[in-house]
Amino acid sequence: MASVVFASFVAKATRKVLRLFGKGATTLPGKLALKINPTIIRKLSVDKDIITVTGTNGKTTTTHMIVEMLSNIGFDVVTNISGANLASGIATTLICGGDEIIKAQGGSKQKTKTVYVLETDEAAFAKIAGDLQPKVSVVSNLFRDQLDRYGELTYTRDCISNGIDKNDAKLVINADDSLVASLGKGREGRTIFFGMELASMKSNNVTHPENKGVLPASPDAVYCPLCNVRYEYEARSFSHLGAFCCPKCGARRPSPRFEVVYSLSKSPSDPDYGYIIKDTTINEANEMILKVPGSHNLYNSCAAVAAVSAYLEEGNDKKECFDTACKAALSVKAAFGRMEKFSVGDGNKQICILLVKNPAGLDRSLSFLANAKDADSLFFLLNSNIADGKDVSWIWDVDFESKIDNLPKRIYVSGERWADMQLRVHYAGGRIDKADCMEKAKEILDRAIEACEPNKCVYILPNYTSMLALRSILVKQYGLKDFWK
Amino acid sequence: MGEYVLNIAHMYPDLLNLYGDRGNVLALLRRAQGRGIEVNVRAYSIGDSISEKDVDLVFIGGGQDSEQNIMKDDLIKEKGPIIKQMIEDGVVFLCVCGGYQMLGKYYETYDNKRIQCLGALDYYTKGAQVRFIQDTIYEYDGILKDGKPLTVIGFENHSGRTILGDGVQPLFKVVKGAGNNGQDGFEGATYKNVFCTYSHGSFLPKNPKITDMLLEKALSRKYGESFKLLPLDSEFETIAAKEALKYVQKST
Repeated sequence: MASVVFASFVAKATRKVLRLFGKGATTLPGKLALKINPTIIRKLSVDKDIITVTGTNGKTTTTHMIVEMLSNIGFDVVTNISGANLASGIATTLICGGDEIIKAQGGSKQKTKTVYVLETDEAAFAKIAGDLQPKVSVVSNLFRDQLDRYGELTYTRDCISNGIDKNDAKLVINADDSLVASLGKGREGRTIFFGMELASMKSNNVTHPENKGVLPASPDAVYCPLCNVRYEYEARSFSHLGAFCCPKCGARRPSPRFEVVYSLSKSPSDPDYGYIIKDTTINEANEMILKVPGSHNLYNSCAAVAAVSAYLEEGNDKKECFDTACKAALSVKAAFGRMEKFSVGDGNKQICILLVKNPAGLDRSLSFLANAKDADSLFFLLNSNIADGKDVSWIWDVDFESKIDNLPKRIYVSGERWADMQLRVHYAGGRIDKADCMEKAKEILDRAIEACEPNKCVYILPNYTSMLALRSILVKQYGLKDFWK
Repeated sequence: MGEYVLNIAHMYPDLLNLYGDRGNVLALLRRAQGRGIEVNVRAYSIGDSISEKDVDLVFIGGGQDSEQNIMKDDLIKEKGPIIKQMIEDGVVFLCVCGGYQMLGKYYETYDNKRIQCLGALDYYTKGAQVRFIQDTIYEYDGILKDGKPLTVIGFENHSGRTILGDGVQPLFKVVKGAGNNGQDGFEGATYKNVFCTYSHGSFLPKNPKITDMLLEKALSRKYGESFKLLPLDSEFETIAAKEALKYVQKST
């Protein structure tokens, strides 16, 4: 077998050449290296501290939060970009990532190793979790996601479970998601649960019940897989996430070690929303500020704090680690395509991109936007390339109807499947300002920005490949940095 | 209170809800409401009893295997006899994918395990390893436009191959896609007022003439043969179908 050194050399050389041509080169170098030496991930992982993040929603945001937090604490960090979360992208990151170290804020205080924080696709996780031997593995949640590509949700869960068995990483997993929580069964010694505090969920359910639409959303995982009986929920946060309990076998949500105390009397859509994270094992609570808005980001933030605490904890004082992680979370910023805002026009208008690629993502984005005070208009872009899933029917799984009255009145639509999205908005009860094909996306964006009121924001909701297309428009027109930089 | 009331039974929506099946119910709702018809959508899941007098139109979608395993017994043993009677009495049904397969005689898995189905309609399904996943185009001669069969646009995603018996008719002729089994050139099945198809998601949203046909059949059964739907604008539906057709033809 060809040596790791040779495989790495080929990967690095490939990357250099591709970069000369202005390409990101985030997956091909690793792909070649894996061809030359299929064990390269295992070999390069041996002496590295690795944290993996998997799950259908919130991977990128959580990964990004962990990266920034570790850097704030004083670690050098290497990470992969969101599109490069298969074996090829991860191999590329392990080989070439040393060139793109995110340096510790204020200089490296720790004399420890560089930390690799890797967003990992669910199916890829099963294949490479044994090779990576991560210190910590985060599983955010499991929602239906491009089923035509990934297959059934229970299959995805089993993939992750297989991966978990191939290492002894600490598991940081979502207690409120019945499918994810079941991964902790029989692995109690290494599992750390995070979730919403029961009392908070209960009181928010009473004070802020969700709007009822004409048809409920299509739910995932609301039956106990052992008894085939519908779960009862003592309280819910959203979708199938909450304090579930099987009325037959009594299986219930595990109590989280890290839990979020929150009140919806203020809106998590507003900037600087205040909440609390508790570490229940040491009975410590820290006041937090949500740096990436949206109620679903309470989960991502808690997952990131739990992961960083778990990583730091090895032989150290729990309270000190928890406090350090919480403090580091206070200066996290949004990632590209995830609530990051850009000023446009004369600088008094903004655009913000929210990637939506599955029903849960669209549902949460709409819920966020229904409460976002600065939302001037919405711009949906829908493609159906292989990377998006060929099937666009997922847009019908979302309960758009219950949110439409609170969404901005100006709605624009583009992408290759613009007419499908236009019909979706129409059936939701929305009015379309302008809809046209992908070639017209720039014109439509100009129009949306032109019509936008000062100090307000045009929220753009693309799916994966339409985001890439849009990104190149933004790079050209507004001078935004290329995505791999 | 409208002059006309349409009661839709949404079967097992907490389990059979794949690939935007919810959109079909939404299309029925919107195109009925658009004509001033009062619509009630009621969910019937495991343990809920159903009665013919409460229902004008039944929708059964498809689910993941694990989810269909949860509700199959309830459909066959508990609701089965009533559903069979409703079918014979001419209640309007739209059944998609798993909902289609489960009304048939049986489903034989790829490794030759036979799973009993409801047996309401004369067909059976055999599992195969290769899934049919693609955009589809069909012709429907139940609705003519300028003397020609209606063009129908859909998306299929199924590994089952359905073989029709003499007791049912195929619903569509395949122009593009695999259809029932990838062999005989037909898609779906129909018997009395039951319409079965493998087309998921935005099947009814993008085919408003079929939505209207189902509505008219359900309401004329209830209010008499003279019942006719009022005209309703289909601009967005037509654009979506036209663009989807363009997209499908371009990508093949």
